[in-house]
Formats: sequence, structure tokens, C-alpha cells
Amino acid sequence: MMEKIVTVPNKLGIHARPAALIVRSAVEFDCDVWVESPTDKVNAKSIMGVMTLAASGGTAITVSADGPEEIEAVEAVVEVIKSGFGEEMI
Amino acid sequence: MVQDRFPDPETFSVGVMYECLGKRLSLEDLSDTRGHNHAVVSPDISRPGLCLSGYTYKFMYDRIQIFGETEITLLNQLSQQERADALANVFGFPVVCSIVTKGLLPPDELVSAAREKETALFLSPQDTTPLIHDLTDFLGEVFAPHVSLHGTLVDVYGEGLLVMGRSAIGKSEAVLGLVERGHRLVADDLVRVRKAVNRLIGTGDALIGFHMEIRGIGFVSIAELFGVGATKETQSVDLVVRLLDAGLVDEANRSGLEEKFMTIMGVDVPMLEIPVLPGRNITLLLEVAAMMNIQAKDTGCTSAERLNRKLIARMGRKRLRDKYDGEDSNCSQ
Repeated sequence: MMEKIVTVPNKLGIHARPAALIVRSAVEFDCDVWVESPTDKVNAKSIMGVMTLAASGGTAITVSADGPEEIEAVEAVVEVIKSGFGEEMI
Repeated sequence: MVQDRFPDPETFSVGVMYECLGKRLSLEDLSDTRGHNHAVVSPDISRPGLCLSGYTYKFMYDRIQIFGETEITLLNQLSQQERADALANVFGFPVVCSIVTKGLLPPDELVSAAREKETALFLSPQDTTPLIHDLTDFLGEVFAPHVSLHGTLVDVYGEGLLVMGRSAIGKSEAVLGLVERGHRLVADDLVRVRKAVNRLIGTGDALIGFHMEIRGIGFVSIAELFGVGATKETQSVDLVVRLLDAGLVDEANRSGLEEKFMTIMGVDVPMLEIPVLPGRNITLLLEVAAMMNIQAKDTGCTSAERLNRKLIARMGRKRLRDKYDGEDSNCSQ
């Protein structure tokens, strides 16, 4: 089990396009991956799940993974979120 | 001979035009197939009135000449000699062919001038303007820019779906499923697409007709098997669906938020890329894709966009709620 906390850095937050980028990154790895907001925890490989987090800009997100590639998975997903998805930052 | 709905402009001749339009325009051939081999090279028509009256500069002899009421009345008012001279002005040029409209009786000199010059002369009972519209519509389609594409075109609820993808990926099977569900096949394997202003119109090859080649079965005649209701002559191309091997599809577009287009002859057509995986019901996906394209056109935005807007609005409300939490307990969703 591996986990890391990251803040959503873009203005619009995790809407559909960022959610798709998170999922694209997460499905690469052989392990379970989750993203967690203060109120909800969802499967990072499900686009609908990640969208229902409704994590707005500035929200603290916990990325966690469990399985053979958990370290790489958490690193990759955290990097994607940190990048701000190529959008306008807060 | 099997005639394509849209003849090849390279070999388009007076004879081919007569074959295609003869019935629709009720054309009567007064020239016994003389001049049927003349090539028609322009989608435009010409009224020879000015040329008859002596002004031959810039006479468009390489267009189809329409003798309407004006021209015939003019000829009838002249003396026999004047009439022959007037017609010589026109038939001194290598005229493509001529049509006398409105069921008017052509003067003998017109008939003999056309025969002498081995150029076709047709009579039509139709009024001049509607005939010109029909004729230019048809000629416009014949001479429109066109391209042949490898794919299958099917009408799903009125929406033209052009299914593309490498051979053997399952285009025909998927479309066969659509036909079985009551949708209409336009063309399989080879689709001829014409550009009409900024729309694309697809049609099949006349020889192939409404046959499909299904691996393991062979040629299937859709018109005979499913009836004429399962086929359609022409259809606009509204959506391109590319069937791709799984792994070739960019997973980033899972939400359907990013719109892709395929440019065909300068026209951007919305495009979807569907990964083909065992167990996927491609027929169903094609049907849904068509319905969503119709919905997107009706509402001006895609369902992905609407969902995303709702999501962004919810995040905004949540942020406000967090900010004023405790101050205003009524600030709920």
C-alpha cells in the first residue's frame, strides 16, 4: 500500500478532461489505484468515479495504490494532477 | 449497361445524359442518336437567344443549349432565309446538344441544322425554368468534386454513418447488424462521395449495388434479402466512425469530450474512433453514435459537454459551501 497527498492546482478542478487524463495514467499499472477527496474515495481507473469526486481547484487529494506496481502508479497519477492538466492554474 | 447514379465526368457524354435524364425530363430524341457521342464537359447551360440574333461573341457552344419560348418565338418571327442564317450563327459552332422546351414545335430549319451538324436535338414538354433546374442539379452533381473511399455507408435514423477501418476489422458485419435492425445500407466497401457545396453525398457503385461481402458467407444481396426498405441510393455523410484495433485508440478521449474530425474534400466531418475488442457489440455502438450525433446537432452540444458543465457547476457550489460553511447553513445544493 502506497499513498501520497496532492493539491488540485488548476482553476476548474477535476472535470471530465482531467478525469480522463488521470484514468489514462492509472490504467497503465498493474495494481488497484484510488483517488480520495475529503468526502469520497473512488477507483482511479473509472472515469465516472473520478468525476463524481467533483474535486475543485485547491482540494487536497490522496492518491493511493495497492499491488505490484503501486509505487509507480501513485507517482504517475500524482504527476498528472500536479501538472495541472495543461489548464489555467489557481 | 449498368449505369452509376452519378456517371464519371471523364466519359460523360450526351448519350449518357439522355440515358440518365431522358425519362425524368421526358426527352424525345429528334436526332436518332446522332451526336450522342459528344462529350458534355461543363455543368452549365446556355440560352442561345443572343447568338441567334447575331451576337456570337462569347457564345458558350460547349454547354447544353436550351431553346425556350424566347428562342423559338424569335425564330418563328423570321423569314425562312433569316431563320436559316440565325441558326447558322449557332450551329456554325460545335454545339454539344440542344433541348427545345415547353413542348414547343421546333422549326424545320432547326431540326435539319442539328441533323446536318450531327448534334443531338431533344424535345421536352417541361417548362424551361424547371427543366433548367433539374438539368443543372444533375450536371452539378456529375461535375462535383468526388472521391472514392474504402468504407461502408449506412443510414441510421437519417444520419449518414461512414464506417471505416482496416479490412477484416468487421465493418461489414457491424453494418449488417444495423440493416437487420431496420437501418438502410447505402454502399458497402466502396463509397463514392461527392461534394455538394459544403455537404458530402455518398453513393455506391452501380455494379456492386446493394451487395455486401461477408467473410464465410460470400456476397449477400441486401435488397433481395431484406427488401428495398433496407437500402438507400444516396445519403449525406454526417459522421465518420473508425473501427480501430484496441491499443491504437487514444484513451484520453474516453469522455467523448474532445471532438475529432476527418477532412474529406475540405469538409470537416465529425469522427469517432471505436476500439474493437472481443465481446463488444459494434452494431449497438454504431447505432448509439448516430443517435448521439443527431442529439448533438439538435441541442448544439454533446452529452459529454452537458455533463461536464454540470460537474463544473457542482464544484463551484461546493467551493462556495466550503467557504461559507457554518456561516450560512441554508447554502445547500
